[in-house]
Amino acid sequence: MKNTYLQLAQMVTGALVAVLLAIHITVQQSDVVLGLLGIKVAGPTTWGSMMERAHQGSWVGIYISLLAFGLFHALNGFRNILLETNLSASAMRILTGCIIAFGVIFLILGTYAPIALFSSYR
Amino acid sequence: MSSDAVKKITFRVQRFDPEKDRKPHFQEFIVPVKRGTTVLEGLLYIKENLDSSLAFRTSCRMGVCGSCGMLINEYPHLACHTQLEEFHADRLTLKPLPNMPIIKDLVPRLETLFEHHKSVKPYIIRGDNAEMEKPTAGYIQKPHELDEFLQFTYCIKCGLCIAACPTSASDLAFLGPQALGQAYRYCADSRDEGQDQRYQIVEKDHAVWNCHFAAACSEACPKGVDPALAIQLLRKGVAAKALRVKKTTAPALLATSLPQAKPKIDVPEFTVKQK
Ligand code: FES
Repeated sequence: MKNTYLQLAQMVTGALVAVLLAIHITVQQSDVVLGLLGIKVAGPTTWGSMMERAHQGSWVGIYISLLAFGLFHALNGFRNILLETNLSASAMRILTGCIIAFGVIFLILGTYAPIALFSSYR
Repeated sequence: MSSDAVKKITFRVQRFDPEKDRKPHFQEFIVPVKRGTTVLEGLLYIKENLDSSLAFRTSCRMGVCGSCGMLINEYPHLACHTQLEEFHADRLTLKPLPNMPIIKDLVPRLETLFEHHKSVKPYIIRGDNAEMEKPTAGYIQKPHELDEFLQFTYCIKCGLCIAACPTSASDLAFLGPQALGQAYRYCADSRDEGQDQRYQIVEKDHAVWNCHFAAACSEACPKGVDPALAIQLLRKGVAAKALRVKKTTAPALLATSLPQAKPKIDVPEFTVKQK
């Protein structure tokens, strides 16, 4: 049932990415949105504001989750597209290995920054 | 058009003879047609009167055998089930079904269709091997249980759904709507116990999860079967099985195991003297 679990995970991560991305975009644009309503707030993309979020566990969790779910969803979707290109089974195995390696490397690189920032604060 | 008024229609037919041609080309034929003339009748006219070398498949001429599938004006139809009047045109372009290799002219190679069909085990699978080998009675099936899969039994394996399917066009190894529809047909049969075996087959790469749900198969089916629905229901079953939330129901009982089952009628005596 490997493919079934992958497809179910694809659907679940798709929904989670939509929610987390909505949170991310809303926060990044909050000064613009609130500015339209006449409320002035410090820009969420300023250094201070970003450092403040980087030191909050919940934000670190949101960003790492967004990265992990986004990577899985994008790379598994990419593999699904490759499946339709009539590559041989062995070529597909090699490409799947490369995709997994790419995902793991980018997950490690992508989680390093928020974790390093968060732990430097403590 | 009155029933015997004759009109002339140009049939633009794709020709390809692998022994002579390097690639397909078109040939035009003028065919006299009357009200109610089918595309197949037009092709038979060409074969009998204009060019006997034209190759196409036909058998029942009544939309039952599934032999005469072809692309008529770029859409898959059964030639015997399609009247020329439907097109309101003086020209008709005929090509063999796409997504399959061509044997000759309008004859596609259907081996892959039948291999995929066979691969999903399109027959009743039971745990009791002895009964499977030597059946002693039928299985009991209630009308609502039959309704679960009845429409999918109308598949005539004509291949129109595969010709219409965009996934079959790009992914040559895709099992296709015909085979997946039949996998569901047997999984939904209350007499069957082979769901687990079929789920293992259809959950692999190039199968149930690779359908894009364009639903072109359901639109093209000349028998009103809805393979796209079957694929969605198959996905539901496979997912429920993987998540272990699938209700297990006991398979249908043998008719003889019921006390009220009618006794078997003996073979009557011969009324004609045996030699
Ligand atoms: S000839 Fe049998 S379906 Fe057309």
